Amino acid sequence: MTRTFLATLALTLTFAAPALAQDNGLTVYTSQHQALTQEWADAFTAKTGIPVAIRKGTDVLMANQIVQEGLNSPADIFLTENSPAMMMVQDADLFLPVAPETLANTPEQFRPESGMWTGIAARTTMLVYNTEMISEDELPVSMLDLANPEWQGRWGAAPAGADFQAIVSALLELRGTEETANWLVGLKQNALPYRGNFEAMRGANVGEVAAALIYNYYYFGDQAGTGESSNKLKVHYFANKDPGAFVSVSGGGVLKASDNPEAAQQFLAFVTGPEGQAILRDGHSYEYAIASGIEPNPALPPLSTIDSPDIDPSLLNAQEVVQLMTAAGVI
Amino acid sequence: MTVLHIANLGKTYGTTTALAGINLDVAMGSRTVIVGPSGSGKTTLLRLIAGFETPDEGKIELNGELIADPEVGVPAHRRNIGLVMQEGALFPHLSVLDNICFGIRSEADASARALALMDLTELDRSMAQRQPHQLSGGQQQRVALARALARQPRLMLLDEPFSALDAGLREQMRDATAQILAQAGVATVLVTHDRDEAMGFADQLVILRDGRLVQAGSPKALYRRPIDATTAAFLGAAIILPADFSGRVAECALGALPLPEDDTAEGTGTVLIRPEQVTIGPAPNSTEWKVASVLDRGNKSTVTIERLYRGQMATISFDHVSAQVLEAGQAVQVSVTGTVHPLRG
Amino acid sequence: MHQALPSKGRAGVPMRLYRHRRRGASPFVLAAAIAVAALSLLPVGFVLVVLFQSGWDTASALLFRPRIGELLINTMLLEVLAVPLSIALALALAWLTERSDLKWRALWRWLAVAPLAIPAFVQAYAWDSAIPVLRGLWPAVLVSVLAYFPLVYLPVIAQLRRLDPAMEDVAATLGTRPLAVFLRVVLPQLRLAISGGALLIALHLLSEYGLYVLIRYDTLTVAIVSQFQAVYDGPAANLMGIVLVFLAVIFLAAEAWLRGERRYARVGGGAARQVALVKLGIWWPLFMALPLLVTVLAIGLPVVTLLRWLLIGGIESWHLPQLVSATWQTAGYALAGAVTVCIMALPIAWLAARAPGPVQKTLENIHFQVGALPGVIVALALVAVTVRVALPLYQTIATLLLAYVLLYLPRAIVSVRASLAQVPIELERAATALGRPPLVAVVGVTLRLAFPGIAAGMALVAMGITTELTATLMLSPIGTETLATQFWARTGEFDHVGAAPFALAMVVLSLPLCIILHSQATGARSS
Repeated sequence: MTRTFLATLALTLTFAAPALAQDNGLTVYTSQHQALTQEWADAFTAKTGIPVAIRKGTDVLMANQIVQEGLNSPADIFLTENSPAMMMVQDADLFLPVAPETLANTPEQFRPESGMWTGIAARTTMLVYNTEMISEDELPVSMLDLANPEWQGRWGAAPAGADFQAIVSALLELRGTEETANWLVGLKQNALPYRGNFEAMRGANVGEVAAALIYNYYYFGDQAGTGESSNKLKVHYFANKDPGAFVSVSGGGVLKASDNPEAAQQFLAFVTGPEGQAILRDGHSYEYAIASGIEPNPALPPLSTIDSPDIDPSLLNAQEVVQLMTAAGVI
Repeated sequence: MTVLHIANLGKTYGTTTALAGINLDVAMGSRTVIVGPSGSGKTTLLRLIAGFETPDEGKIELNGELIADPEVGVPAHRRNIGLVMQEGALFPHLSVLDNICFGIRSEADASARALALMDLTELDRSMAQRQPHQLSGGQQQRVALARALARQPRLMLLDEPFSALDAGLREQMRDATAQILAQAGVATVLVTHDRDEAMGFADQLVILRDGRLVQAGSPKALYRRPIDATTAAFLGAAIILPADFSGRVAECALGALPLPEDDTAEGTGTVLIRPEQVTIGPAPNSTEWKVASVLDRGNKSTVTIERLYRGQMATISFDHVSAQVLEAGQAVQVSVTGTVHPLRG
Repeated sequence: MHQALPSKGRAGVPMRLYRHRRRGASPFVLAAAIAVAALSLLPVGFVLVVLFQSGWDTASALLFRPRIGELLINTMLLEVLAVPLSIALALALAWLTERSDLKWRALWRWLAVAPLAIPAFVQAYAWDSAIPVLRGLWPAVLVSVLAYFPLVYLPVIAQLRRLDPAMEDVAATLGTRPLAVFLRVVLPQLRLAISGGALLIALHLLSEYGLYVLIRYDTLTVAIVSQFQAVYDGPAANLMGIVLVFLAVIFLAAEAWLRGERRYARVGGGAARQVALVKLGIWWPLFMALPLLVTVLAIGLPVVTLLRWLLIGGIESWHLPQLVSATWQTAGYALAGAVTVCIMALPIAWLAARAPGPVQKTLENIHFQVGALPGVIVALALVAVTVRVALPLYQTIATLLLAYVLLYLPRAIVSVRASLAQVPIELERAATALGRPPLVAVVGVTLRLAFPGIAAGMALVAMGITTELTATLMLSPIGTETLATQFWARTGEFDHVGAAPFALAMVVLSLPLCIILHSQATGARSS
């Protein structure tokens, strides 16, 4: 029996060993898609031999975490889906400046002037609608119309997610606190909250709601696959530089806490370089490639066709959005 | 008039025969005790009567109505047969009064009747609100009895009701129960493995062994005239000797003993003599019996006597209560009073 | 007066006199138990500190806002619907499988325990992907009941088997119909089992996260995790945590009140014989419809959905390297956690079995109350503490294991205490009399004999860890991907096909849980 006990203990330690192992390569905190980050990491490791560990979270969660960890953070690199989270880390002065040659990969409109981080990809905001429930002429002209009474219970979104919060931060930047707060109240009354964009889209597809405010890649991803969650849907882009036509920039930056900043800079250069951007173009993420002159995935409508508002990504404020949404009872 | 009539009742579990060919009648107001060792089938018989088991053979009638045969049966809760179990089986979540009222809850005068039953079973009315765990074993049995009586059952079944009690209390409860049931006028079937309990309680005693009814009758009749040696020994101390029978005479080591007029036999067999029929005294001249050994325990002694009878040594041991002092080797004279009983089988 | 006597012990070893030890618990064991109890108080301390630090204005602004009221109503609606329905379902199934002559009772009994092998969030994933429009209160109630009713069913059948069947026989002879017998005689004696199981369900519903996210029903815990993911260690999440703790405490108190002081133990020993079974007669198909329906809904639907996704995905969808690595890491955490938890349970379990008293009772209560706190609170507390005062421990395996300790300590104590209590102290004394020093006697005799029971406790803890989602999501170190977190990440990225193998792995790893719990309830193994 003693032997069994010891055997159990030994087995435990053997099992626990891999969990205890920490490699000495790069650690990436990412709120980007797990699969996309993994593809970047694998390709980078294949090219350089530097191992990459990934911790996945959501934008603001990861940003807050980095802020609280400060210079003790185990992370070397931070990748996000949206820019407000990058600004939280920048405001806490935890980024190293991005290498100038890396910055040059990304066009100016997709990166902040500070040069503390850079754009790595972009996504567009859009409304998908169920053609069986709503006709084209009933579609809202502006995203703000969705707060009107006629939309009560008819649209869905994923307000707890970072994507939606980025959209709200764009609204906040364009229209100010009061209008944003009012719109959030309308949202609370009108919209069905979903766990994520995909669920919101599927909700529209199965007719739970007539329309859903989501990012583009959920729709195109599903269309490229089985299409079973989007086959009844059509896409509507808001025009006239509406907040609902917001193009969100995904960011990447090197952290001051990095104990291997050179490799970290190398990683960021790789992601924004031709190889990294080609992964965006050819992969299944359906986000827009924006850097190194790589064309986006041909399945996506060109960014130039979208009448998006001009927003400096460095002006988007995540914290105020969370406060406004908490006050409105959305989260 | 017969309350319970059981005919050719049988029950098997898989390949095991629990009961077979049971015939039994219970008269109104009478007390029947079914006695047998564990595994004899007495509990099965009780459960068949109560309605917890279905017979594979035969039938059971209550007051002339069929209540069970292999095809049909009245469910237990419709039979109105009372049941008192070994440890009382009081509902632990109910007070004494609620326990007694359990079966008559819907009736208007339930409480009054329950209190009357407490009087009958000699439970102080102040105990009405007590919880079962606050009662002594004897009190619990009285509550169980009152609870079963409340519905004025057509028949009362008692399943080893006194065996969990202390020895002294057991006898007292037995007599009290008999008296209460007599007052209530309910026919009763009690099962037990305890001989004293059976003998002390029964009008009719039923011996069960290996699922079969061995013998039934009054305790006195069964004691005097058991059907076989095992029954004889079960019901009390017995001296069983080989004997030659010829009409009303049994010839054995204790001499030629008389048989009752209606209990004659022929040929060879064994004869039963109860120790209390035997008188023994010193007789220096006797050549027949002599004391082989004496185990003196103060108030009584176990005496073993022996004699040469028909070329073989016959030995008898019995408890002997007497002021007379017997010693080993002493010659004694032995006499038998009353008639003796030829055993068959 | 004590002097070394010049006498000789066995084999010429001189005998020495030692000062008498005070009776009662060894100070070492007591200190260890106190240390574990103090550790257990960490989350409670966290809640109090948060309340104190955030100040009245912030606290009241964040606590008394409509959103909290809404979440509170959602949570309570769920509780008042799902808990009684679970009890009713568990009782009906328990009656059918223990007290009626329903065909294939043993099979139905297994199938009534089997839903425990399907983690609640996997159950919800199956329902959600089978019927995508399921959303809101009633679906949440349905899936909660299906996932958690065995937590009442198990203690109820265990208690049914301990009840004296004589009670039910007597009730029948008193003219009570079978159903009335169950309601008037059996049910009151199941009070302990029901209230204990109901408390477990209530606490599970309180702390469940994945299920309600997938069914899109906002409870307090869902909102806390949302806030946490939006803001990390922020006041809104922590203050909602206080509301959650408050509810947990109310449930604990309610259970204590319902349970009452009285205990209805059977007067005699174990059930002497099988109780008479109620004959269902020609109505049996009607009665069989219930377990059949429950099986179809609670096991059939998730299993078929899982298999469907596995089939659709084919072998490519298995992501074998990740599946193997996640299984490996999950197993590592589960085993390491189980061993740690059981070792930490030993001191208090030892005191409870060998030196019961008021101090021990208090310590034990502390251990148990903390086990009632939702995983999200434990995780919030550990994040806050490690980030603020113990940064080296932040995001380490040690912290995650500590969370598991806090979450699963009660489970372990119950098992370890029971198995220690089954080893007669006489054996230990005999070993001492045969010349073994006390500690050697304890390790060599008592722990060795108690090991099977302790191992069963470890298995329970290990399986809990295997399917733990909330705390693991919030605390796992970098690079950690357990089956639960992988599954969760994939369902979040609408990858039903990719999630299925991870769900299947969790179900397979949880099957032994059912076997252990089933045999404990039916008395097949333990005494």
